[in-house]
Amino acid sequence: MRQVPQRYVTGLLGLAIGVGLGLLPESAAAHIIQGAQGGFGSGFAHPLTGPDHFLAMFAVGLWGAQMGGRQVWTLPVTFPLIMVIGGVAGMIGLPLPAVEIGIALSIMALGLAIALAWRPAEWVALILIAYFALCHGYAHGAELPLSADPADYAIGFVLATGMIHLFGIGVGLALHKPVGGRLARGLGALIGIGGIYFLVPALLAA
Amino acid sequence: MAALGACGIAVIALRARESPFAAWVLTDVFAPERVLPQIGLGAACALVGARAFGATLLLYGAGIVAGFVGQDWLLWALYNIPEGPTHLFLTGPISYLAIGLALVPGTRLLPWLLPMAALVAGAMLALAIFLTDPSLHAAAFIGTPVLTAFWIVAAVSLTLRAFRRGWFPIFGRILGSWLLAIGLLYGGASLMPRLKPPPPPTDTSHETARSPEPNRTIPGLPEPPPGLFPGGEQPKQP
Repeated sequence: MRQVPQRYVTGLLGLAIGVGLGLLPESAAAHIIQGAQGGFGSGFAHPLTGPDHFLAMFAVGLWGAQMGGRQVWTLPVTFPLIMVIGGVAGMIGLPLPAVEIGIALSIMALGLAIALAWRPAEWVALILIAYFALCHGYAHGAELPLSADPADYAIGFVLATGMIHLFGIGVGLALHKPVGGRLARGLGALIGIGGIYFLVPALLAA
Repeated sequence: MAALGACGIAVIALRARESPFAAWVLTDVFAPERVLPQIGLGAACALVGARAFGATLLLYGAGIVAGFVGQDWLLWALYNIPEGPTHLFLTGPISYLAIGLALVPGTRLLPWLLPMAALVAGAMLALAIFLTDPSLHAAAFIGTPVLTAFWIVAAVSLTLRAFRRGWFPIFGRILGSWLLAIGLLYGGASLMPRLKPPPPPTDTSHETARSPEPNRTIPGLPEPPPGLFPGGEQPKQP
């Protein structure tokens, strides 16, 4: 399959992130659950049962495996560490606009990157991942102080997130060679469509 | 060794309803926040050579001893952390951070960083045992968590060593990032003042939710005696 010129991919992703960052007011309330949450089980179940988080985390692992080399581990290592910064921002109530849209964009952009087999420079991939991690972390961090047991909630939540990353890496490595990697790219296209599904209501709610 | 320990846990779980000690072992000694750093330490031990593994176990034990012996000094040192005294002096997050920081840089630095992380984790474990001990320092309540910690570290480490694969170092870095993230989130959540959850929604749409009106009289019934409604108006005749 013919590779799409990299400048188009960069432009598309830049446009998508620009929309998320610049245009839209706060809409995080649509994601942030109000009320007391549980402990370990609740934190563990949240990324697994929330399709938006699941798709994004899965896509991070899949993209890293598709790119190969150091990115197999740099992306999944960076994500939780930056997610913590977003989490702390959410906990202390720092304003971060358009979190919901950022989450939806993360799914769409990662799906697009996988579908187009985009292999940017490592720092570009890490900056993208960092922005998406901030959005996901913020949404969870805002819930954390309300949870019945914040410590256990954090443990369950990070463990589940990491396991989805590993699942994505495993699937990515397994699909890397068959049919020239087209299966992974098809999966990326589906993830991208999933991102659009989440983006439309997020935009309408903004 | 892992199977024997698993059988032991099963026996404890069966006895948890009858024995307070067994219940305490299940809820405290095997609490996720206590066990996870030990699993991380075990996984890290599987990535280093025999010499570093031995040094790590030795320093883990030394850390535990140091934690018990120097608990007053450690508590004094950790006392000034905001919200620390109400959150076990953040012994959990410090353990996570120590082991996570050793794992993330990779296998080249791991043999040097891991023994130091084990020393810190051991001391924090001893403090946590001291702070959560429901007895007056009975030997069983001190010895069981220590033995359990060594069992978890050794069982995880030896099992992973037996099935070592080329991708284990990558997994080690990823696991390290999880531990760091948990430590930072857990510590952050502990340091944050607990917010009160919003009150449950109240439904005022139903008639039955309203308080009775004191001035309501029913046509056809005799008038109520004066003074029955103190502070309110006397009921009016319809």
